[in-house]
Amino acid sequence: MNAIILSALLGVVMMFASVFTENKIAIRNIAIFGLLILLASNLLNIYTPYSFNVDLHNMLRFDSFGLFFNSIAIVSTLLYVILSGSDIVKVGNYPAEYFALIFFVLCGVTILSSYNSLLMLFLGVEIMSIPLYILTGSDKKNLKSNEASLKYFLMGAFSTGIMLMGIALLYGASGNFNLEMIREKTSIAEFGILAPLGLLLIFISLAFKVSAAPFHFWTPDVYDGAPSVFTSFMATIVKTAGFIAFVKLFSLRMADLGPSYAIILPVIIIATLLVGNITAVFQQSVKRMLAYSSIAQAGFMLFALYTSNDLSTEGILLYAAAYSIATIGIFGILIKMKDYTFDGYNGLAKKQPLVAATNTVFLLSLAGIPLTAGFFAKYYMLASALKSNGSALWLVIVAVLFAAVSVYYYFRVIQAMYFKDGDAETTEIDGTFKFVLVVLALLIILIGINPSILLRWYYF
Amino acid sequence: MIPVLLILIPLLSGLVTFFLKDEKAAKSWSLLASVITLAVVFSGLFIYNHNNETTFDTEWLPNLGSRFSLALDGMGKMLTLLTAISFPVVFASTYKNSYKQSGSFYGLMLLTQAGLMGVFLASDALLFYFFWELALIPVYFLCSIWGGEKRIAVTFKFFIYTFIGSLLMLAGILFLYFQTADHSFAIKSLYNLHLSAKSQNTVFWLFFIAFAIKMPIFPLHTWQPDTYEQSPTAVTMILSGVMVKMGIFALIRWLIPIFPEAVANFSTVIIIFSIIGMIYASQIAIQQDDIKRLIAYSSIAHIGLMCAAIFAQNKIGLEGVMIQMFNHGINVIGLWIVADVIEQQLGTRKLSELGGLAQKAPTLAILLVVLSLANIALPLTNSFVGEFLMFIGLFQYNIWAAAIAGVSIILAAVYTLNMIQKIFYGNTVSLTDNAVDAKNNVQWILIVLVVVVIVLGVYPQPLINLTKDTVNTFFVNR
Amino acid sequence: MNWLPMLLDATESTAANYFPIGIQIIFAVGFVAFMIALSAWVGPKRKTSDKLESFTSGISTHGDARHPMAIKYFLVAILFVLFDVEVIFFYPYAVNFKSLGWGGFEAVLLFVAFFLVGFFYIIKKGALTWED
Repeated sequence: MNAIILSALLGVVMMFASVFTENKIAIRNIAIFGLLILLASNLLNIYTPYSFNVDLHNMLRFDSFGLFFNSIAIVSTLLYVILSGSDIVKVGNYPAEYFALIFFVLCGVTILSSYNSLLMLFLGVEIMSIPLYILTGSDKKNLKSNEASLKYFLMGAFSTGIMLMGIALLYGASGNFNLEMIREKTSIAEFGILAPLGLLLIFISLAFKVSAAPFHFWTPDVYDGAPSVFTSFMATIVKTAGFIAFVKLFSLRMADLGPSYAIILPVIIIATLLVGNITAVFQQSVKRMLAYSSIAQAGFMLFALYTSNDLSTEGILLYAAAYSIATIGIFGILIKMKDYTFDGYNGLAKKQPLVAATNTVFLLSLAGIPLTAGFFAKYYMLASALKSNGSALWLVIVAVLFAAVSVYYYFRVIQAMYFKDGDAETTEIDGTFKFVLVVLALLIILIGINPSILLRWYYF
Repeated sequence: MIPVLLILIPLLSGLVTFFLKDEKAAKSWSLLASVITLAVVFSGLFIYNHNNETTFDTEWLPNLGSRFSLALDGMGKMLTLLTAISFPVVFASTYKNSYKQSGSFYGLMLLTQAGLMGVFLASDALLFYFFWELALIPVYFLCSIWGGEKRIAVTFKFFIYTFIGSLLMLAGILFLYFQTADHSFAIKSLYNLHLSAKSQNTVFWLFFIAFAIKMPIFPLHTWQPDTYEQSPTAVTMILSGVMVKMGIFALIRWLIPIFPEAVANFSTVIIIFSIIGMIYASQIAIQQDDIKRLIAYSSIAHIGLMCAAIFAQNKIGLEGVMIQMFNHGINVIGLWIVADVIEQQLGTRKLSELGGLAQKAPTLAILLVVLSLANIALPLTNSFVGEFLMFIGLFQYNIWAAAIAGVSIILAAVYTLNMIQKIFYGNTVSLTDNAVDAKNNVQWILIVLVVVVIVLGVYPQPLINLTKDTVNTFFVNR
Repeated sequence: MNWLPMLLDATESTAANYFPIGIQIIFAVGFVAFMIALSAWVGPKRKTSDKLESFTSGISTHGDARHPMAIKYFLVAILFVLFDVEVIFFYPYAVNFKSLGWGGFEAVLLFVAFFLVGFFYIIKKGALTWED
């Protein structure tokens, strides 16, 4: 609860920051300070459940899963702002407003991690998405940014409409918005097609949000067109929040819906892995490659929906953290590059050895090489599949084959940095930036050696 | 503590080496580290060889049921010894070569050693997988940065191949984990598994493909000659001397005891593929003009024989494999050293451009001849014992298999003697007119290797004793 | 006339049951068509150019609708809509003023406070200053 209220208030505070100061550095520091407060208040929430005494009518519920994810999201945002804050303020004329919008997105994220009613799911998705439409188009004079924003908005509006329809059908079937009540009251026999259809529509809409194939078509254009700093935010915190909402919904409802999801989900997982990985192989721009790679990673995260057991719950949290940290780092470096193509990275290792080394760690983590956090993230996903059902082995085999494909495009960046000659041109890189990169890389390696240093917080 | 030291010494000293800017310092430091590791291995084998000193076990990932457990036993003893010997030999024999960013080069080499040690010591499947990858990543960077002209594409192919293999193995390990009664990755739990025939037949291949790529077995060998050719020679020595043994080691420790039925089902197929590979690789080796490629293909042929002997599944064949694993490592490293000497001095590896070197470099010629004879498994050399036992094993399995595999010995003689003749005999050509003998450090190392070759050829009992545990338990389990 | 008893006995569901509905549809459509045709035929017709113009509350139109105009106008219009819509929330509050008590009053005060914060923000950002 703290995080929801405070993030909205901090958004307002950031809006007013622009009224009182023009200093970009000061604005960034206010945002960092605000995020620290937000993190503290969220941690406080774990120990003292009701700092704000509001009667919620059971529409929100704050369990350790949601609160832990909030912490991951806030810490990721904090690292993101410290790393790329100086680039955020450079996007356009409204530096403070960008931070305000980021805080509003966080408000949506925190609602999504704790909703207990379909209405709150809808509100959370909307509060999260609308500021993003603006951030996507924030580079106002760039046509691609405008196109991306419009495309994102239209697609988002459609998916929201579909979600509302689904919620309405579920309401029709159960007479309730509350997740637990819905689970109690609906069963296929009693309500015929209504409940499964409603859930399917919500499924489609959330699949839009997390860009699972075949609902992924907006992703590359939007990620490519948006200013890179905001792509970083979109591809990490927002995307994982979508997955958290997804997992929360489906962990409750899977069993009732009969065997159909046992067929739909593997098909969607394989389609997502296929589209993401194979298309990423053919990209020339690192930014676009990362857009497709985010689709490919979504394919792995979808395993958490397929299995819904304790391993997948832990796994999706670990995946959220591992994927966010690595992607924030990679984008942070990408923003500093003058040329976004693979060739633009040629010879980076000679000019910026530290940056190249940390970038390698991030890429290895995304590829799922052992001793990085990404390995355990993927490991948990695969293990949860095999735990729930030994015959899921074939799905696991398909997934690992695609993981091997992903090595191809991640390693192209490493090859460019280390093995090819060139003068990779970067904008100015300061000490703080390098320091945060090292922190991110260390986090990844630490989690990669022993993931329980992260996951033990979940059992608080 | 011994196994932990074996991993920690190369790991930590490797990390330190990255920060050594001075080339000489990096070289001496890594040579020192590898010699210390060798000393630790010896102490583990002969002094501190009680059970509590050679095993190590501690909590690692309690949630996942994986423990950090290492054990120095049987076959592991021999292969850690081989690893520990190889690195100082490689460092010393390439001491005069210079590398750009030498700190990173030697650092990555030592990290590779840590990974290899881990693979041979791990007695927990997930830990084993970790080290399997840890040994691969540094080699990828070593070959890609310091390799030949086509290094990037070639090494990438190597990496993708092995990575696909290891991921399949990971899927297999996970599957086995959920089948064990106590949900653990410990090797004992895996040995106690009673899998259904159907799942054995599937999961067997997940593991086998991973190991077959590493060894490599025909038709998964295509990465190997290119990679050996393009890698810097120091790395090639490690690749073919030690790394290849990872596949054979894993086959014996992690595959055959776990899937007895599947092994029985598929052994014929695999032996056929191994033998095809042997003949095929030998044929190609005869055609080669490049020394490095020739040795690479000859290595495929030797590995094929080992694989076939393992799947023949009898004690005598397995003893042969054990001996041959060690000996092949020694011999092939010796051959690479000679190839490196020739390339460093004359700038070419083409047989057609060489000739008459024996007049200019008599010592080198004698040493190479001994090593080559060992490569063809002539009596009194170390390989003879191993290959002889393996052929007996194969003979007991099927007479035709042994007969066809035997052809490869003849072919080996053809290409090896052909190589010697073209390099050392005949008239000198313009390139070799001004050649000189090998430098002192290289000569001494080659002499040591040749002594080992002959000693083990006459008296192979130490190797048999070292690996007795593994061979015996292997047949108790079945 | 044997469909009548069937109609009264509603337990059976056959095509004949839909007969009255069919009659009604035919009648409805026919009536509408008849009335439209009738008014067109009987009614007075006066054709002038004024009738073809768009209705602008009595003022005669001038110029093109796609005329460029100050962007500020849109901003003001949007802000007007925003604040206008928010005022709508006062109506339900006014109706339930007594029953909601002080709790409701606090809630509305909070609402108004947010409202004013937003208002303050747009004034400070200069959204309402017409002259640059």
